Amino acid sequence: MMIDPDARYLKSHEWAKKDGNRIAVGLTAYAIEQLGDIVYLELPEVGRTLKQGEMFGVIESVKSASDMYAPVGGKVVEVNTSACDNPDSLKQDAYGAGWLMKIEPTDPAELDGLMDAAAYRTFLETEA
Amino acid sequence: MADFAGWEMPIQYAGGIVAEHLATRKNAGLFDVSHMGRFRIRGEKAADFLQRFLTNNILNLSPGDSQYTIMANPEGGVIDDAYLYQLDRSDYLLVVNASNAQTDFEYLRSHVSAFDGVTLTDISESLAMIALQGPQSETILRTLLEDGTLPPKRRNALSRAAVCGAQATVARTGYTGEPICFEVFIAAEAVGLLWDALLDGGAEPVGLGARDTLRLEAGLPLYGHEFGVGPDGAEIGALACPIARYAVSFDQSKGEYVGKAALLRQAEARKRYAAGDFSQTSDLPRVIRSFRLTDSGVARAETVVYDRDKPVGSVTSGTVAPYWVTSKDGDTWRLTDQTGRRAIGLALVAPEVVFDAVLEADVRQRRLKMRLVRRNLDNRSGDIALAEIE
Repeated sequence: MMIDPDARYLKSHEWAKKDGNRIAVGLTAYAIEQLGDIVYLELPEVGRTLKQGEMFGVIESVKSASDMYAPVGGKVVEVNTSACDNPDSLKQDAYGAGWLMKIEPTDPAELDGLMDAAAYRTFLETEA
Repeated sequence: MADFAGWEMPIQYAGGIVAEHLATRKNAGLFDVSHMGRFRIRGEKAADFLQRFLTNNILNLSPGDSQYTIMANPEGGVIDDAYLYQLDRSDYLLVVNASNAQTDFEYLRSHVSAFDGVTLTDISESLAMIALQGPQSETILRTLLEDGTLPPKRRNALSRAAVCGAQATVARTGYTGEPICFEVFIAAEAVGLLWDALLDGGAEPVGLGARDTLRLEAGLPLYGHEFGVGPDGAEIGALACPIARYAVSFDQSKGEYVGKAALLRQAEARKRYAAGDFSQTSDLPRVIRSFRLTDSGVARAETVVYDRDKPVGSVTSGTVAPYWVTSKDGDTWRLTDQTGRRAIGLALVAPEVVFDAVLEADVRQRRLKMRLVRRNLDNRSGDIALAEIE
């Protein structure tokens, strides 16, 4: 699946999705495909408070390192340590098992301000 | 695809960088390296001309042989590194980096008129160049021979052969560290056929991404990283790179050449360092060393390297490279079906930093432990290159 219809998106290719009263955050299948072989993930500490748009981690492929940005602000309550151990696994399920962190949002409405799946698709087709 | 010195080049093919790297080490990788500059230098005095502007000794060559060489500046820095192929006593092929081809050609052309009857021609467009590297490359290439032979089995040897209906020059050279390696020069019109035939024969196409991870694992320099201006803004001395010593000759028979005096001072400095004397380092203040990270992460170019609190140098090239786990069958090493990955690279460091020193790379304010090593790849014996892990 290249785009998850239920997720919201940033232009920098992070997705965010409601998971109970938390918000799961990951990187889109498109971004992962573009990066190629992923070799290293740097994720935030649990407990860290992020502002919307703040850099929360780094994903490294063989060829480059890319910063990742928080789609919504809030407290990091969980990070996907198994993805850190096997970063190449993100390829298999970018919107499911490939989640990177879960946030307790400061303002859940921030999610609604992001691109929906249709807007992200248009963005990929026209700008990315 | 990416723009590379004006050429549109694939970073990777369908396999991806990791798969292409591994395929080269175990099977055979096929590289389109036609973007590199190719100059033909001909004439009775061609050798005299090349002796003057390249650092290696052409008298060590015979027809059918090649050598690694450097175009040095008077300060002992590198204008470019290159490979020189002697096709005949008065006929040479010089292969230079794509990014420097224009500069190199202008530089050589500005001096060639002083050598009677020597012609310098840029044949990059008409003569294509591909590299076939890895344990299976000889078998794959041999089946395509229509006439002629492969070069004798020693590094840098050349031969003439007919493949895909065209005459080709075949060299045992390459940029991967593979013991079994070929570069093939063939007319541009014929290279497509040869490319397809080599793929049909089982070679894996390899893009620029794995070309870089392979050369880095082998500790081979790249102009703009290990040669040229370093991360500290100062020009890197040619002999900072360990492999450059094979490209620089001080033999009397070579005579004077551009950069010789400065290179001699660098060679003297290296001798002092080898003897443990670091009292005078101004002639060669930094040297290039291979490293491996022992913490997880990646240390890329320009990452500052520390010995405790003291900055001792910078990474010039850094990446993550995959490798085949090796096992020993009696006396012979072989590659298993298991693979791993490790962060490796080259760094420009103070000469007194010893091998096996545990240093720290400052990656985004985190200190990652790294170790300077003699090599990341052992290709000194046998037909396969073995990753050094410990």
